[in-house]
Amino acid sequence: MNERGNRKRVDCLADCVKKMKQKEFKIASIRDRLARRAFLQGGSFGVGAIAANALLAEDPLRSAEHGVITKSQADGLYLPHFTPRAKRVIFLTQSGGPSQLELFDHKPNLIDLAGTKLPDSVRQGQRLTGMTKNQEQLILPPVAKFKRHGECGAMIGEWMPHLGKVADEICFVKSMVTDQINHAPAMTKFLTGHHLPGRPSMGCWASYGLGSVNRDLPDYVVLISKMKRPSDQPLYDHYWGSGFLPSEHQGVKLRNSRDPVLYLNDPDGFPRSLRREMLSGLASLNEQHHAQVQDPEITTRIQQYEMAFRMQASVPELTDLSDEPQSTFELYGPDSRRPGSYAANCILARRLAQRDVRFIQLFHPDWDHHSRLSSWCVSRCLDTDQASAALILDLKRHGLLDDTLVIWGGEFGRGVAGQGKWDDRNAGRDHHPRCFTIWMAGAGVRPGFSYGATDDFSYNVAENPVHVRDLHATAMNRLGVDHERFTYRFQGLDFRLSGVEPARVVKEILV
Amino acid sequence: MTVAGRVWRAVFVLVALNHVVSNAAENSFSKDVLPLLSDRCFQCHGPDEANREAGLRLDSPSIVGTPGQKHGIVVPGSLDASELWSRIVSDDPDTMMPPTGAHRAEWSDSELGTIREWILSGADWGRHWSFTPIARPKVSQSESDAIDWLINQRLRELGFRCNALADSRTRLRRLSFSLRGVGPTVQETEQLVPLIDAGGFSEVVDRFLEDSLHAERLAMWWLDAARYSDSDGYQQDLTRENWPWRDWVINAFRSNMRFDQFTREQFAGDLMKNATPEQILATCFHRNHMTNGEGGRDPEESRVDYVLDRTNTMGTVWLGLTLGCTQCHSHKFDPISQRDYYSLTAFFNSIDEDGKAGKNAKPYLSYQSPFVNDRINKTQLLVEECEKDKKRRLQVATQRFDGWLKEMEVTIGDNYTAWLNPKIESVISSEGTEFSFDDSAIVQTLGPTPQQDDYRIEFSLPAGLRRIAGWRIEVFPEPSHVNGMFTRDGNGDFILTNVKTLIRQSGNPNEVELENESAIADYEAKKDRQTKWDTRYSNIKETLNDDARDGWTTEGAESVTSHLGVYKLKQPYEIQEGDRLVVILKQRSTLGEANIGRFRISITSERGETLKRFDSVSPLTELSSLANAESSETPDELRERLFQQFLLDQKDYQQATRTLALAKSQLNSLKTQAKPRSVMVLKDREEPRQTHVLIRGVWDQKGDLVEQGFLTSIIGGAMTSPANRLDLANWLVSRENPLTARVTVNHLWRLMFGRGLVSTAEDFGLQGEQPTHPMLLDWLAAELMDTDWDLRHILRLIANSQAFQRSSVMTDELKEVDPDNRWLARGPRHRLDAWMLRDNALRVSGLLDESIGGPPVYPYQPPGVWSEITMGRFQYEPSLGAEQYRRTIYAFWRRSSAPTFLFDSAQRRVCEVDRGQTNTPLQALTLLNDETYLECSRVIADRLSIINDFDSAVQALAMIVLSREWKNAEIESIRAVYNSSREYYQRNPLEAQQYIDVGQQTQCKVDSAPEIAAWMTCVSLTLNLDEAISLE
Repeated sequence: MNERGNRKRVDCLADCVKKMKQKEFKIASIRDRLARRAFLQGGSFGVGAIAANALLAEDPLRSAEHGVITKSQADGLYLPHFTPRAKRVIFLTQSGGPSQLELFDHKPNLIDLAGTKLPDSVRQGQRLTGMTKNQEQLILPPVAKFKRHGECGAMIGEWMPHLGKVADEICFVKSMVTDQINHAPAMTKFLTGHHLPGRPSMGCWASYGLGSVNRDLPDYVVLISKMKRPSDQPLYDHYWGSGFLPSEHQGVKLRNSRDPVLYLNDPDGFPRSLRREMLSGLASLNEQHHAQVQDPEITTRIQQYEMAFRMQASVPELTDLSDEPQSTFELYGPDSRRPGSYAANCILARRLAQRDVRFIQLFHPDWDHHSRLSSWCVSRCLDTDQASAALILDLKRHGLLDDTLVIWGGEFGRGVAGQGKWDDRNAGRDHHPRCFTIWMAGAGVRPGFSYGATDDFSYNVAENPVHVRDLHATAMNRLGVDHERFTYRFQGLDFRLSGVEPARVVKEILV
Repeated sequence: MTVAGRVWRAVFVLVALNHVVSNAAENSFSKDVLPLLSDRCFQCHGPDEANREAGLRLDSPSIVGTPGQKHGIVVPGSLDASELWSRIVSDDPDTMMPPTGAHRAEWSDSELGTIREWILSGADWGRHWSFTPIARPKVSQSESDAIDWLINQRLRELGFRCNALADSRTRLRRLSFSLRGVGPTVQETEQLVPLIDAGGFSEVVDRFLEDSLHAERLAMWWLDAARYSDSDGYQQDLTRENWPWRDWVINAFRSNMRFDQFTREQFAGDLMKNATPEQILATCFHRNHMTNGEGGRDPEESRVDYVLDRTNTMGTVWLGLTLGCTQCHSHKFDPISQRDYYSLTAFFNSIDEDGKAGKNAKPYLSYQSPFVNDRINKTQLLVEECEKDKKRRLQVATQRFDGWLKEMEVTIGDNYTAWLNPKIESVISSEGTEFSFDDSAIVQTLGPTPQQDDYRIEFSLPAGLRRIAGWRIEVFPEPSHVNGMFTRDGNGDFILTNVKTLIRQSGNPNEVELENESAIADYEAKKDRQTKWDTRYSNIKETLNDDARDGWTTEGAESVTSHLGVYKLKQPYEIQEGDRLVVILKQRSTLGEANIGRFRISITSERGETLKRFDSVSPLTELSSLANAESSETPDELRERLFQQFLLDQKDYQQATRTLALAKSQLNSLKTQAKPRSVMVLKDREEPRQTHVLIRGVWDQKGDLVEQGFLTSIIGGAMTSPANRLDLANWLVSRENPLTARVTVNHLWRLMFGRGLVSTAEDFGLQGEQPTHPMLLDWLAAELMDTDWDLRHILRLIANSQAFQRSSVMTDELKEVDPDNRWLARGPRHRLDAWMLRDNALRVSGLLDESIGGPPVYPYQPPGVWSEITMGRFQYEPSLGAEQYRRTIYAFWRRSSAPTFLFDSAQRRVCEVDRGQTNTPLQALTLLNDETYLECSRVIADRLSIINDFDSAVQALAMIVLSREWKNAEIESIRAVYNSSREYYQRNPLEAQQYIDVGQQTQCKVDSAPEIAAWMTCVSLTLNLDEAISLE
């Protein structure tokens, strides 16, 4: 029995108990009872294996998906807390920090200021990284030209022509703020709410809180673009790690290799028919042993082996694209035929969404353009632009966009000063935490909208700042979760994704 | 009843049941009142002065006034006069406490009752239980029975019936796994079960405690807590060489070093009188944190991180305190101020370090490990074996070559060419360039001249071509181009930034990407040339990566002639019918205007020499040109070159060559590691650093200056000034310290029972769980200190207790009243740690190499797990020979990608002492398909397959894995699997061969394969049984 896995469930019941003004109450004991109750309730799947509330998934109380909110839900006793707008999330993580100045945050006035010193009144003592702190901060105007797109008239850099085609479907947040200036801490913060490793990633929270809809696939799936370049920023596995949550909630990497999930395939020469027989034998022996020692965990284990067997079929079925029409590949672009590419992963993301996987996270590395924007940044745009836009269109035509939250963004933005000689085409941009742009789509996020603004230098947020923790609060809100009430007790503290500082749901971008 | 009503009612029943249990304990301030105040009040009215509301502090006895007082926060004996009481019972949103919005739970009636009773009975104040001094509780029994006396007393109070002792075999297995991390071998079972039957259990305990396997088991616990790893963790996650410290830990446990000394050496071995190298080595404990060398980072920020990490680790491991909370503000619940915290960090703040990572993470100890030479000798033998094998394979290949050459001489004809021009089906530009091409396969660009462009060329493949081993691109000058050179704009020079090679198969929507292993060009621009371009545009090998900031150009070549770039595939691709070749030429240079204007692509099936030259000549073309010659004899020189090319396709020989190379590299690596290594250790710098409170925990926001200091608010103990790390260590293990001994025995209890007496091993503070058996915890803590911190003694006591030896069968009654076994009426039962599963499988199969210590080894992991996360920076090569079969504690641990075969393990990034257990399908897949388990299955299957009758063999299997015999019904279950498997493999013997070809096991003859395969299935099944993977 996994103790921690039960804690939140326990907390829910604990509240319940207090409301009833009952007598003696001890949290640990309740936990134990609850565990037992789980087994008594039929034991069809193991407590340890299924996220907290999935346990109650078959409970008629959980009818939020049908739009009915029961009293208990309204009291915050169960997740979701309210009717969710998103059944799932697709997080298109652009690792390295894409430049808002070249892509989204149009600042034509900077052309006139080219080569001038960034005013101290703007910089306000902002810390610089070790890479540029010893050089003068001279303004490098946007290298890319901008174009107006869609009815909404969004200005988008020329390196992302395809995104322009879905401008009316997406919502830009141009006033994102973080407080970390280096990659690993900033990405860790962006994904887990804290800059040091050890906290659960967003997808883990979603898996833990909302549980599984598809029992043949993991709740939280991670896809990494295959690239050949020894990047300075490895994608540490704590980016999708479960932190203090039970490890069953950690992201499962879907790999582009013989084993899409580690150890998925049976050994060569061992047919599936034999695996079936072997597992039946295993179950039979385990049942015989269970009859003796009576440990309910054995029943759970039998179920897990059965799920493993089903997964061996459902994952290959997921990754086999031969049932996709030609038009899919045309939509996502020629790179989508290359397994492991970002574009191919976008197709997989849509297929995962169709299978109701709760949290789907793509990682595309190497956005860290400290130099040579017109080759470095352009290359990453070419890798991702068409496929990201295609994903939006594709979700829409499959009727999935309404209840899928799509987030596109990296851990921070880039500074307005040129790194290296500003007037050399080899110039790049250094990390910049004080403002950056992300975009979102689907799940009742206002389409064709842009929220927040930066100052004339795209340096500080001028209006409507959205901190990373606000993004977390907002994403949770889309999943029907009140970020303040969704906590997990660890080391005596009630942790939440959005952290201890005040965070808010950015209602302005929601419809 | 409504559904909601049912749930509420269920809760009611649970509470009612629970009531029986809790009434037994008496109400006390520290156990009942303080936790409530902490949970509901301290967040705003606790030790943290910065966030204290209304200036009110409720965690201090000063809130208690005098009896008879008219009004106060707490007035003993009077609810009406006590403000605290009126606030907590208030319904008024303006006055009620905790206020709505504080996200604290509401008061239950029983909780209110507790507070009420406390005030009325005089509001005695006391300390949190774990902060009170350890006094040895009186037990009416001898030392050896004290544990059981304390546990049974509680069970009697609760009215629980406890299970009888488990049978000898179960006790043996439980003891073996708990103390050694592996189960008993068949031999041990046969020897020790009768001994236990005869009452010799404690003899077995002593034997296991002396076993080196036990020291390694404890070391695994310690390494997790110490966040030990073989890499830095951040940025490039560089490899470090601190493994001699791991061996120090194992040795310390082998010699049963007393825990106080163990503590002192790890904190301050360097400060001890006449410190030995080993004592200095011990201090590596405090250097096991992650290090960050990220380019943009201020090294001072990193250095501060390390200081805090050490402090937090000490807090978790020794004190069971969540000190990390105090980095930014005073503790919300425990009486620890931010100042206290930074006073502790002061002990670690003057290490002679500068926040750098990688090879610059001084201070280092140059240390030569005594554990390498044995292993060099073993690996030397392995290399010799591999050399012999290679020689054998070469002989076989040589014989084959003669036949092959004879056939070639006859069949090659006189018009053979090595390079072919496949037919172009389409050329597409991503930016609008147009193309013309004809049968010569030369492509000429036309139309627009975009700044950058990608060309995608699709070819159908010549009939009869068997495979593609490489391709080449010819870049042609053209009079109409700029300066008659290679491009239609810019200065005439071209830049190719990246290439991709793909195969489009008919019926497969995915394209197969072919990896280009290397590339060469007849001319590459010189790096030191004058150019307006970046000189990173020079070499053709730069076209192999996905970086557009480098690439190939021939800029600066003296004459304008066509140029040639040759790409060699990592693996020749075997062509299937309908395949098309796709080549993508990416031209994304920073300045642009360098797109190739005219080019041709050709392919070859030949390897080796052919892909190294630029003149289209190959050994086979030379052979072809001899076809009409008078002499039928192939010249020796050509013959040798043909042989070299032929060898490249001899798989067995190539495999043997590769294995030999890996073995040699393994040997070389060991020889390097046998020399003195730089181990990260502690050493103070001459000029101590000043320590400040860091405002909000931010590294460069310095507040008040602080001196070294202990947590005097919790733990007494005078400090001599100036104090150093040795004083700190002495304070940790002083008798006045109430935490270290409690926390440590709790760890030991957890190792034996799977959960601690305090279930939050990492938190003994006010928000942690209370101990289930406080007297037992204190008795053990006192015993630990009274025996001079003898861990082995405590483990011996626990192991010999009845509680540990009880049957773990879950009776209906216990399932009802104590499903989690908190009250220990039955023995522990839980899944074994993943590393124990691996170690045990190796041991019972006989593969385990039990040598101790030395550089890390590389157990099997699926290919690609390192390279995909580091984009090719690190490749993982599983160890060869006996190195493959060493215990998991010696497995290389890369922080960015922890060993894939482990699950529910500590992540070794920050200190973790209490990782929960889960039960998931991914774990099932690991145990079913990981190569280690398959290889162990194969090795056991080899043994079973030569036993003549099924019944004896299957019982042997049970003895090996489960230390028992099957029952009849079980035999029938496994017989069914055996029969199906054997039947299948008898029909498909080649598949049997494939299936059993695993790890480093030798291949076997086709007629014995089905039997082995059938058994291998059964062994794998048995290794996956819940009984096999559980401590029970």
